[in-house]
Amino acid sequence: MKDPAELVVDAVDRGIFTVDRAVFTDPAIFELEMRHIFEHTWVYLGLASQVAAPNDYFTTFIGRQPVIVMRDATGRLGAFMNTCRHRGALVCQRRQGNARYHVCAYHGWAYGSDGRSKTIKDLDTGAYSEHFLADDHDLVPVARFGEYRGFLFASLSAEVPSLEMHLGDMRFFLDLVVDQGPKGIEAVPGSSSYTFRANWKLQLENGMDAYHLTSTHPSFMNIVDRRNAGESANRLKSLDFAAYRERGGFTFDHGHSALFTPNPNPQVRPLFASIDELRSRVGEARARWMLNTRNITVFPNLQIAENASLQLRVMRPLSHDLTEMTIHCLAPVDEADAARDFRLRQFEDFFNASGLATPDDTTCYEDCQSGYGAGIVRWQQGYSRGIMSVQPGSGPIGESIGIEARTHQMGAAKVQDETIFHAGYREWVRLMKAGLARDAAGATS
Amino acid sequence: MSGIDPARVLSEVSAFLHDEALALDERRWSDWLDLFTVDCEYWVPAWKSEDEQTSNPGRELSLIYYGARAGLEDRVWRVESRRSVASAVLPRTQHLISNVRVTGSREIPGVSGAAEIDVRCEWTVHQYLPKERAVELFFGRYEVCLVRHPEGLRIARKKIVLLNDYLPARIDFYSL
Ligand code: FES
Ligand SMILES: [Fe+2]
Repeated sequence: MKDPAELVVDAVDRGIFTVDRAVFTDPAIFELEMRHIFEHTWVYLGLASQVAAPNDYFTTFIGRQPVIVMRDATGRLGAFMNTCRHRGALVCQRRQGNARYHVCAYHGWAYGSDGRSKTIKDLDTGAYSEHFLADDHDLVPVARFGEYRGFLFASLSAEVPSLEMHLGDMRFFLDLVVDQGPKGIEAVPGSSSYTFRANWKLQLENGMDAYHLTSTHPSFMNIVDRRNAGESANRLKSLDFAAYRERGGFTFDHGHSALFTPNPNPQVRPLFASIDELRSRVGEARARWMLNTRNITVFPNLQIAENASLQLRVMRPLSHDLTEMTIHCLAPVDEADAARDFRLRQFEDFFNASGLATPDDTTCYEDCQSGYGAGIVRWQQGYSRGIMSVQPGSGPIGESIGIEARTHQMGAAKVQDETIFHAGYREWVRLMKAGLARDAAGATS
Repeated sequence: MSGIDPARVLSEVSAFLHDEALALDERRWSDWLDLFTVDCEYWVPAWKSEDEQTSNPGRELSLIYYGARAGLEDRVWRVESRRSVASAVLPRTQHLISNVRVTGSREIPGVSGAAEIDVRCEWTVHQYLPKERAVELFFGRYEVCLVRHPEGLRIARKKIVLLNDYLPARIDFYSL
């Protein structure tokens, strides 16, 4: 295996940033990503609104490891490894539900919704040792669990900064999502999961990729045009990439990034239906930010896309060339019927695996993964647009919204900046190096 | 119910469903569109949990929801435009329809011979992906409302229950 630190060349001062295709193709690298990235940083789990009531739970994964997120009887949230302490069966079989107790189906050990061991079947007659009886039989909690305004995260390593520090001023962009409704936001009932036969970082990149829009999605753009011109009888309004004039982006520490485009047609956003309420509650400036087209990545597994409708997507890498996506439509709580209907139709039109845009993206990821079969071609040329215009720090726009960013970029929409991907790869290198150093220390101790 | 003979209706709607399936499998898209009324509802619900589908397309997510044929026309236009890489290499599809039952029928008052017929059936699509050299399988249930006009049967409503909704990277009308 190649040295992970040498798989990313980060020399922007010399006009160079590139990535070795091994990061997408090498199963040994994937193994390290699971250990050193997914098991050693904050990973997005879900929304607090998915476990709104006492004893609500949902199950998910941190990297490859099964996890159960529960609200206990007193309302406290926790996240635990979804494996029985006895001989390992999943304690919870279902994706979501409500249960005060979780009884393992294999030998009947029972746990409370606080993760505590409640009963061990036939404990009295078990001829157990003192050692066993003194042992802790509770579900194993994740090392760190945190919530930022309804977004739930966990880390399997305790060696991480606080969640607030980890998110940094990405919080500004999460706030723009949460504050869209006077009562906050919720995931609309119904979600969809699909897989694509490509590395997870293809999605990580594409979610922030302005350059692909006009070439990957011409059929979507044409359909929007046809509807606007009355050539299609479908009256659904949606975004028009061709109308975009300028675009900006920020990168942050810990791999996060945010992309925004002032929206020339804010009235085609479902949120526009409540524009008066919005302006009076959050002010004109933040209302405008909410109506901007925005795409954000919270490294390594969460993206929120707000171009058509409002999508939250979670990436779950399954192998070096297989990735699972779970997608949700977000909406203000108690949104009016007309706006909700508009939001759903826009979402389905663009995003689903059965939509008119997402399948073109995922097809391109699969074509990339197939193209990487050309193993003698080593270095990517796809991280260079904007490399001469990207600036350090927050810039005037960042300062105007009071955020601290690592880099910023603002200019013509046609720059279609690719330096926004650098953030993820910088964090990738940082975590991989730290993991390899841990391994080396462990091997010599 | 006078004038609607259950046995004759069953064979008539079965033949209609088989024709619709064949139009998709033979990629006769405009023939397929012609089988729908202009104001048809076409609906593929999403799932809320292991056991429950979404039931209110106005408040809950669907995989596809259209309140008019125009939505399907957009999709056909997209495939024919050759501008969508997702359909650049089309799957070879095979629709199988079975267990057809007529669950209700109503004459449309005031229009001689016009009727609405509720049909349910089971469906399976096997598809071969020439690019990936792979096979995919989808299956579920159709809940269809057909209307009989002088020119024949048309689909006024088609709800497609997709039972295996852990999806591959793309799925479109021709695979449902
Ligand atoms: S594995 Fe759970 S009780 Fe034995
Ligand atoms: Fe895209």
